Amino acid sequence: MRRPDGQAKVRGEFSYAGDLHAEGMLHGVTLRSPHPHARLLRIDTAAARALPGVHAVLTAADVPGDLHFGLTLRDEPVLADGVVRYAGEPVAVVAAIDPRTARRAARAIVVEYEPLPAQTDPTLAADAEPLHAEGNVYRHLAYECGDPRARGVVTVENTYRIGMQDPAFLAPEAGMATPTADGGVRLEVATQWLHSDQRQIAWATGLPPEKVQVVLAGVGGAFGGREDVTLHTHACLLALATGRPVKMEYTREESFLAHRQRHPGTIWLRHSADASGRVVSVEGRVVLDGGAYASTSPVVIANTVTLLQGPYRVDNGRFEGWSVRTNNPSCGAMRGFGVPQAAFAHESQMDALAAALDLDPLEIRLRNALRRGDTATFGQRFTQPTPVREVIEGLRAVPLPPAGGKLPGGVGRASSPGSVRRGVGYAVTMKNLAFSEGHVDESTATVSLRDGHATVHCACAEVGQGFVTVAEQVARTVLGADTVTVTQPDTLIASAGSTSASRQTMASGTAVHRACVAVRDRLLARVARERGLDAGLLSIQDGAVTCDGTPLVDVAAATPGHTVRATEHFAHPPTTALGQGDVYVGFAFSAQRAVVDVDVELGLVSVVQIASCQDVGTVVNPTQLLGQIEGGIVQGMGLAVMEEVVVVDGHITNPEFQDYLIPTIVDAPEVVSVYVTDPQPGMPHGWKGVGEPPLCTAVPAVAAAVRDATGLPLPSVPIRPEHIALGIGTPPTVTRTTPRPPATTGGTALSEEPADRPGTWESEGAAGH
Amino acid sequence: MKPFDYARPGDVAEAVRVATLPGAVFLGGGTNLVDHLKLGVARPDLVVDVRTLTSREVTDTEDGGLRAGAAVTNSELAADRRVRERYPVLAQALLAGATGQLRNTATTGGNPLQRTRCVYFQDVTTPCNKREPGTGCSAIGGTTRNHAVLGASQACIATHPSDMAVALAALDACVQVLGPTGERTVPFTELHRLPGDDPSRDTVLEQGELITAMGLPPLPAARTSAYRKVRDRASYAFALVSVAAVLDVRDGVVQDVRIALGGVAHKPWRATRAEQALRGGPATPDAFAAAAAEELADARPQPGIDGGNGFKVPLVTRTLVATLRDLTAAQEG
Repeated sequence: MRRPDGQAKVRGEFSYAGDLHAEGMLHGVTLRSPHPHARLLRIDTAAARALPGVHAVLTAADVPGDLHFGLTLRDEPVLADGVVRYAGEPVAVVAAIDPRTARRAARAIVVEYEPLPAQTDPTLAADAEPLHAEGNVYRHLAYECGDPRARGVVTVENTYRIGMQDPAFLAPEAGMATPTADGGVRLEVATQWLHSDQRQIAWATGLPPEKVQVVLAGVGGAFGGREDVTLHTHACLLALATGRPVKMEYTREESFLAHRQRHPGTIWLRHSADASGRVVSVEGRVVLDGGAYASTSPVVIANTVTLLQGPYRVDNGRFEGWSVRTNNPSCGAMRGFGVPQAAFAHESQMDALAAALDLDPLEIRLRNALRRGDTATFGQRFTQPTPVREVIEGLRAVPLPPAGGKLPGGVGRASSPGSVRRGVGYAVTMKNLAFSEGHVDESTATVSLRDGHATVHCACAEVGQGFVTVAEQVARTVLGADTVTVTQPDTLIASAGSTSASRQTMASGTAVHRACVAVRDRLLARVARERGLDAGLLSIQDGAVTCDGTPLVDVAAATPGHTVRATEHFAHPPTTALGQGDVYVGFAFSAQRAVVDVDVELGLVSVVQIASCQDVGTVVNPTQLLGQIEGGIVQGMGLAVMEEVVVVDGHITNPEFQDYLIPTIVDAPEVVSVYVTDPQPGMPHGWKGVGEPPLCTAVPAVAAAVRDATGLPLPSVPIRPEHIALGIGTPPTVTRTTPRPPATTGGTALSEEPADRPGTWESEGAAGH
Repeated sequence: MKPFDYARPGDVAEAVRVATLPGAVFLGGGTNLVDHLKLGVARPDLVVDVRTLTSREVTDTEDGGLRAGAAVTNSELAADRRVRERYPVLAQALLAGATGQLRNTATTGGNPLQRTRCVYFQDVTTPCNKREPGTGCSAIGGTTRNHAVLGASQACIATHPSDMAVALAALDACVQVLGPTGERTVPFTELHRLPGDDPSRDTVLEQGELITAMGLPPLPAARTSAYRKVRDRASYAFALVSVAAVLDVRDGVVQDVRIALGGVAHKPWRATRAEQALRGGPATPDAFAAAAAEELADARPQPGIDGGNGFKVPLVTRTLVATLRDLTAAQEG
């Protein structure tokens, strides 16, 4: 089946949010802080307001409702309030007759700042002067299981660093707000989560949520970067202030400044293993730089900390982490949501252990692989399919690519074959699926069927992931519909949650499935009633209502002119807070093997092939599934070898695609993708989320392959040519330890008090006890 | 974007006349200038469109060289059979730059005049002596990974971004220039300046001077020439370092050698010291490394908050040695 939006996108005919237009619309522009931290002494908008063509200039004082918003803590002002906390923070917004006039007006606003010292080091920020009334630690969490001081014969430890990654979706933020006749506002916007936007806009505008209507406009990629509101509220405030439609559209540079990035992180890990390679204990500490405002930092850190041991059975451990406020760009959701950071660290450690014990990297992973029935370090039992061994074995069956092929350096002809070394690296990861820690994960869909045409209405944001195809497949399969329309998502129906966390096929797909089943049952009941048949004998097959296998009538002709409609809700079983039971709805497991060619003299990496074996529940749509695997791998590879938002003194120095490099098709490896299909309980057809695991696994797999080719430790990503050419990076400390069995067994306990502040954590010695 | 006047003169003479006004700039392929107009990096009063005024032909010269009109696109020049056979280093350099779309638009006259990709130069909110003389250099002590290790000054540590220009420097090309006072020919190696106290000027061209053509001298040795470019991404990225080299080796002895380095200086860096060290000597990796060391003896890596650019010194050395080694092997097997 073809994607309904596929051809239009390929031909350049798809209508993205940037294409929005209305007669008489105004253009909104944002004035941003040039300082990462400063006191706002004075804002004078008189000159800007006086410019011809300017319809509104708004500052914090003009926000009619609650000034503060946020996905977790409500700590971020809609427009700067007395203090700016990051370079690029919105200070004022302008609406004018055209973009040029609006920009000119923004420049005419006089802002006096008193620059303050910028706190840009997250390990120092935790203990430093609070940057905000809410404090500098977004969240600290620590827990233990078993006896963290248990030791095997070898102990390895190292500190790993992960750079800040931009979601780099291709269509920058855009939207248009229009005042409605009832005094409310209607926002068409490229977003991931309509109802969250609606709620936060309602806070700022002071409107009841039902007067804020959010409609999805064409989205060109999201990857988490559209989960927080950016221009949404500003456009609505300007539309309400002017009584006119107001369109806002960011430049690429503004896009970098405005949306949330992937948290850069520093992770210390110590693994101890017995002679067979079984992991005896894991201790880990994480500091994530959350930047100026909370966004989802308190949730992301929980993913990083709880999944820090990876898809392995670990009975003894201690895990601790902080996400911290700084004057750096705010970080939040991005594909993988804290797990790529953990995965890079734990897989680096598994390789270090394998090397210390002279074990095959896949063998050590097999020996430690989680199995169904095991208990996680954070106390949750794996009651669902847990095919860790299966993804490893599936990967192992994929043949290696032949030697040769394109040289590193691409079209620069930089490499000589004599200095090129091939490397092979492996990684296995687990990614939690759906919302966690007690956040309700739910969706609602309405499906109607009339004369064989099905209409699906759901607030699930199509951001490119392919929900529109899945919804259509479900309606065709269950209802035998000839044609299917998936209507534009809006807030007239209940929330579908965000398009994130690999969750929408599970949540909204299941809501659509349930609604389709309800419509089918009503249709069959009606046919049964009209024909005096037993509804229990009727079914839909190949587009026809059949009775006990005999076709009676086409679905399209079954109830002429009559619409059958149903609305159904789906929610996963509730999750709980950490330490109280099931923190997560479920997990997906993924194994990858990266093959790279590295020019060891010049430090150039060519990723030749990545083979992937992923636990996908069931294959819903093979083409879209492969798209998720390939896209995730390329994005993960980007983080491994080239992508980094470089922040100096709180300023992003590369907020554009000249210096923020994302992989091109020349860089993209061949992807071989195989699957483990172990149906997920409670899901139609046993489907499960697939979008994030390939990214999480590609980062450590590529890094491992480059290490294999070079023999270098490479504890940081992205790996740059100079890291390879000059051999920059500290190797893991390997200590031969005296085995010490765990003094206590079992159980997960939250630690009340942090043992150390993050500022002291790097002084951790090898502790060879 | 600052508003500007736009002129489309009927011929080059008129173009040059119009462009003598301060604040006038020429528009060629526009692949760099148009970006700068949008960013506010370039704020001209007058844009003089010369896209159709200069020659778009590559012609043989009487002495056995080639002459490329300024309007010849980078794609056309790279695809020209004579260029590929006689000056492979130039074809390779052109194809190592930008993307197919950009090469279809960028011109022979315009490419060498593109400006540095220093992030601070392109960010109008930061001080930059090249953009606004006297405001200071934000790169010094900032992110310097892409900056110069040779010939930089306290005023500017930017690098020149062109790949094509590195090949032209190695080939001893000459630039034909038409100006208000008539025609002149500038050796390509003298076209670009070092920053000194006035980094605002990239080249020696005066206001109103227009590049009309690029001359490639007859250089039989250039049939064994090569361009190597080291960068962070396999395509569509500027050089960390690059090497253009022409090498003539007979019986293990270097007869002639021309070397230019990219990504290391404010201009395409003709490595005359290395050439001198090699000429008449053995064509061995040790000799190549020694020549590189000679050339880089005055290299001054920049410390930087991003770790600096000291890595460029070994990277240039290794790239140069590998380039010369492979060119030697191509001739002597």
